Amino acid sequence: MKRIINYHVHPVILSKKGRYMKKKIGSCLVVGAGISGIRSALDLAELGYQVTLIDKEPNLGGTLMQLDYQFPSDHCGMCKMLPLVERDKASQYCLRKGVFHENIDIMLSTELVALDGEPGKFQVTLRQKSRFVDPERCIGCGECSRVCPVEVPDGFNAGLTLRKAIYLPVPHNIPNTYTVDVTSCTQCGECEKICPSGAIDFGVEARSRFRILVVDDELVVRDSLKEWLEDDGFHVEMAESGTEALDMLAKDSFHLMLLDIKMPGVDGVEVLKRAKDLYPELTVVMMTAYATVETAVEAMKIGAHDYVMKPFAPDTPVPVVAQLYQDILRTGERLMDVGAVILSAGFDSFQPDEDNNIFGYGVSPNVVTSIEFERIISGTGPNQGKILRPGDGKEVRKIAWLQCVGSRDMQEDADFCSSVCCMFAIKEALLAKERSDNQADATIFYMDMRTFGKDFQRYRDRAEKDYGVRFVRCRVHTVSPADEEGNLKIVYVDQSGETHEEIFDLVVLSTGQRPPVGTEKLAEMCGVELNPWGFCKLQDFSLSRTSREGILVSGSFSGLCDISDSVIQASSASLWASRLIHSKGGGLAEETETKEAQFRDVGSEPPQVFLALCTCGGTIGEAVDLNALTESFKNTESVAEVQVIERICTQEGWDDLQEAMRNSNANRVLIAACNPYVYAKKVRELGERIGLNPSLIDVVDIWTPAFPGRDLNGNQLTREISATVAMGIARLKGMDPCPIPTARIIQKALVVGGGIAGMTAALSIAHHGFDVTLVEQAEELGGNLHYLYRTLEGYSPQELLEDAVLKVEDHPNINVYKNTKVIGSEGQVGRFVTAVERADGSVETLEHGVTVLATGGQEAKTAEYAYGESGAILTQHELEKGLQDGTLDPTKFRTVAMIQCVGSREEPRNYCSRVCCSSTLKNSLYMKEKNPDLQVCVFYRDMMSYGFIETYYTKARNAGREITIPADVLVLGTGIVPGNYKELADQFGVDFNEDGFFQEAESKWRPVDFIKEGIFMCGIAHSPRSITESIASAEASAQRALRILNNERLAAGSIVAEVRHSLCVLCERCIAACPYHARRYDKAEDKIVVDELMCQGCGSCAAVCLNSASVLRGYRDQQVFEVIDAALEGLG
Amino acid sequence: MSDKEPIIVAFVCNWCTFTAADLAGTSRLVYPQNVRLIRMMCTGMVDPKYVIKALLQGADAVLISGCHPGDCHYINGNYKARRRVKLLKEILPRFGFDERRLKLTWIGASEGNEFAEIIKEMVAEVKTLGPSPVKEQMVL
Repeated sequence: MKRIINYHVHPVILSKKGRYMKKKIGSCLVVGAGISGIRSALDLAELGYQVTLIDKEPNLGGTLMQLDYQFPSDHCGMCKMLPLVERDKASQYCLRKGVFHENIDIMLSTELVALDGEPGKFQVTLRQKSRFVDPERCIGCGECSRVCPVEVPDGFNAGLTLRKAIYLPVPHNIPNTYTVDVTSCTQCGECEKICPSGAIDFGVEARSRFRILVVDDELVVRDSLKEWLEDDGFHVEMAESGTEALDMLAKDSFHLMLLDIKMPGVDGVEVLKRAKDLYPELTVVMMTAYATVETAVEAMKIGAHDYVMKPFAPDTPVPVVAQLYQDILRTGERLMDVGAVILSAGFDSFQPDEDNNIFGYGVSPNVVTSIEFERIISGTGPNQGKILRPGDGKEVRKIAWLQCVGSRDMQEDADFCSSVCCMFAIKEALLAKERSDNQADATIFYMDMRTFGKDFQRYRDRAEKDYGVRFVRCRVHTVSPADEEGNLKIVYVDQSGETHEEIFDLVVLSTGQRPPVGTEKLAEMCGVELNPWGFCKLQDFSLSRTSREGILVSGSFSGLCDISDSVIQASSASLWASRLIHSKGGGLAEETETKEAQFRDVGSEPPQVFLALCTCGGTIGEAVDLNALTESFKNTESVAEVQVIERICTQEGWDDLQEAMRNSNANRVLIAACNPYVYAKKVRELGERIGLNPSLIDVVDIWTPAFPGRDLNGNQLTREISATVAMGIARLKGMDPCPIPTARIIQKALVVGGGIAGMTAALSIAHHGFDVTLVEQAEELGGNLHYLYRTLEGYSPQELLEDAVLKVEDHPNINVYKNTKVIGSEGQVGRFVTAVERADGSVETLEHGVTVLATGGQEAKTAEYAYGESGAILTQHELEKGLQDGTLDPTKFRTVAMIQCVGSREEPRNYCSRVCCSSTLKNSLYMKEKNPDLQVCVFYRDMMSYGFIETYYTKARNAGREITIPADVLVLGTGIVPGNYKELADQFGVDFNEDGFFQEAESKWRPVDFIKEGIFMCGIAHSPRSITESIASAEASAQRALRILNNERLAAGSIVAEVRHSLCVLCERCIAACPYHARRYDKAEDKIVVDELMCQGCGSCAAVCLNSASVLRGYRDQQVFEVIDAALEGLG
Repeated sequence: MSDKEPIIVAFVCNWCTFTAADLAGTSRLVYPQNVRLIRMMCTGMVDPKYVIKALLQGADAVLISGCHPGDCHYINGNYKARRRVKLLKEILPRFGFDERRLKLTWIGASEGNEFAEIIKEMVAEVKTLGPSPVKEQMVL
């Protein structure tokens, strides 16, 4: 085989030759930076779109930031979402810290406030709130927080700990900018005084320009308000009546009016109306006594910004005004054009202390929500991960989880299942068991244990059998205090109707989902409809398209879903965003010149390091003798220059550094400053500016050792800093300046399987202008859709089928090969060769860059329950078919019995097929509709009516049922088994799980990828799923495929493995060690070849190589040895 | 020599433990000085010769720390490290080092406190073992 990996020759001369890279134009807005928002943003960024990712919170990550552990690994793994190819465009560190990608612009504390225009060209207005701290200047030292006198409950720890008024919203987030909570801040100014980088500015001086008009008929109110507000530096004028106020507004301009509602003459509401008519920009806050609260709420509807209650102490109106001042004068608005908008605004948790509060939440401190429990077991939580009771700090020995709190509850207006709580509770119970060395008892009280996802059932079984988690199916009646010590008594009624009582140390409420605050406003602004439960409504057969074209939704904003489903949905949303932008001409239509940076070729020069030492706002300078340190570094080998720079983290400091670099001949730069994460983006920019490959620039942290509290003396600190810098220099010296390898991509796709998933994937790819070959072994396209005639929601699968087949067969970019089988495949991402056998026996080879496996599955066969012995015993498919073609007439039956989980959820088929309960409900409701007197009796273990399917379960139950035997017809829900997986897995070199479904790279974070890059899965081949869910996964797999297809050449990362062939003895140990199938033995060349695109740079190959023939760039042996030497220099 | 604080060379993975060490720093958790963090992409790439080199160079102890089992960014690198450390502990005495001078732990990204604890524990243990035999020899 020919060697097809080429290297860019630096400096890049491709543009001179007239070669261009296709670059997407167009941009997209993602609202909400939780897990789904991040996934959508990364997807689009990888496709080359410019993405603006906003979140109203001051931190990234959404709910996930509070969850340290996810099932099934019971740990994290979020970093696996980072790009696998073109890795250097994104940050290469823990995603919980933050996300950075060249094409993603992140705006925090930002809300979408207006949206105009049309699909493909929306004009959006974003409003970013100032949090008093300049993110450019804040170095995250935390001095401000230390001196802040205010303490309030910390939202990050779900109120279980206290924080200051100036605080870090998430302890591990980057940017780690402190933020001010205006509602609790007393504006004492202590933090402003102590801040070493001058990042905090309450803008007190500018307050005198903020003009406030106080309108109240009571002198005492006017006077006290004036006094308080003037004390805080504002300019205040007063009016004693509505008429006077309107006169004053006509003469002078004001920013803010504080307006009393009840006044003689013209009342507040009237003044508000007239004032808003004349001065729409004026902000008005109503002042009201209890009696007129309703009027105040009405007033807000006609334009008032907020209201405050009278009588008040200075700590109520002043912070409100301070925040308004901040909002009005110091809020940045940004207008931009975007092609599409993805809403991933997440969800809010149900508040169990609302309404009835039968579980005593908020009454006993030992009743907590599942999120609070999550914080209790977290290392960054209140007790550093020890499971102690919030009430008395006692070690917890007996814990109860109560399911369906605020879900599946008609009284709470929640006729839906929140889908994730069952698994969430099992995970928490397992962690509690593990943390306590199995000393804690864990009991889960539930109605149905909904383990409907891939491998969920086995997880549950493991919890029960191996860890002793107790599952109690019952209805919990009440939770009440058991004694003085804070223990709790749970009263519950079991299945036989018997009442039990049990005492627990701690009760965890598995609280359900609610639409997030502001959903209605957001929906109205974007012109999208909501569903009956207040979540975003979706189009038929879609998990991401809203009622308006160009506005997409991902994650829990359309109903709670777990990480894996969120990630699939997010990719489906980004695919539709991309399709839209593409169809509006924003796709590959315009070719723009590559803007690859020109880097100096320094490969032949000896290493010359420019060392920049930051004073960290004087902290370092005070602690150690910087001059002596500078001198000692100057005498270090390979150091060309040493410069001390004031606060490199600030713009001034950065400018100073660039200025100092200007005349330097150095070919390496080491910045010794604070948090290296903060510099990721800046380092790239610096590299491009001075023409030095960014991998030759590094940042080391010399600031953390100098923290107060570590109490190091000057000598100790000098030694720590010297060692850190010396290690940095050693590593940089050995850094390989060679360019990042790239590889050619065959821009064609192969889709195997012509069911709805395969057809959707093919269409999604073809729609972007790439050729697709769709291979189907049957005579017709359509797969399982041929057996489905209706869905629970009332959509028509047959129309869907007809439409999809027509589109696929008509599409100029899609080649359909029916009656065709794959007989073999080889190659790597970007360059696969697959042989297929056509109906006539001829063999054809196809070249393609990506492969999508959508080989589906079918209804399982059974021999249980006398199936096959009587015509009255059917499967759900047979029932559906019979009802459709008229061979089964429900009006002729009196009783129909249905048995669920036939051969499922027990070994060897120990998984839930997810769709059978829905089928059962669907067919039951259909038959009841035809024959209301029919009795349908369903024998089930757990009714898996997750999400909004629950409402149909309620409907079916209300339709009535009675246990009557014998039945006219017995229907078996036999579940789903995968299609032909073994042969395919072998042909494509991919894995499958013990049930025969394809094994994804990572169940949560990479649900449609195989470990082998370039091959993706979708539909039932992944795991049983509904039509809509299959379509979503197909769209997600197409999206993953497009990020590769979209490039003629694709770059790997700077850290990749290579082979020194002269040392290699071809033992092939490295091939076995490589987890990514990135290595193979090339027979023709007789050597080990690395596929740089597939290589992720883990270095496993280098560690197993006996001859050091396999090396990892950036971590060559010599380099690591020198770092070790530097670390231990001066010992002994 | 005994007045000196022990030096620990820590090979930490880029994804989990490096983040945890950083969190320990930014959360201002107090842990002993003299930990030399060497950031590797994965614990699976920590070649045994790096460990031996560090010990021969005078480190009092070596820590290898990465993602929890099942959580490795590179799928299974931490398992490779686990196997390797088990073997290393068997051969370290032949180089004259107590096997307790090498430690392998899993510290997740949000477990800054765990990082500080491990360092404290290691320092305490190494103090009972006394300084590295290499240092003794060098003094002699």
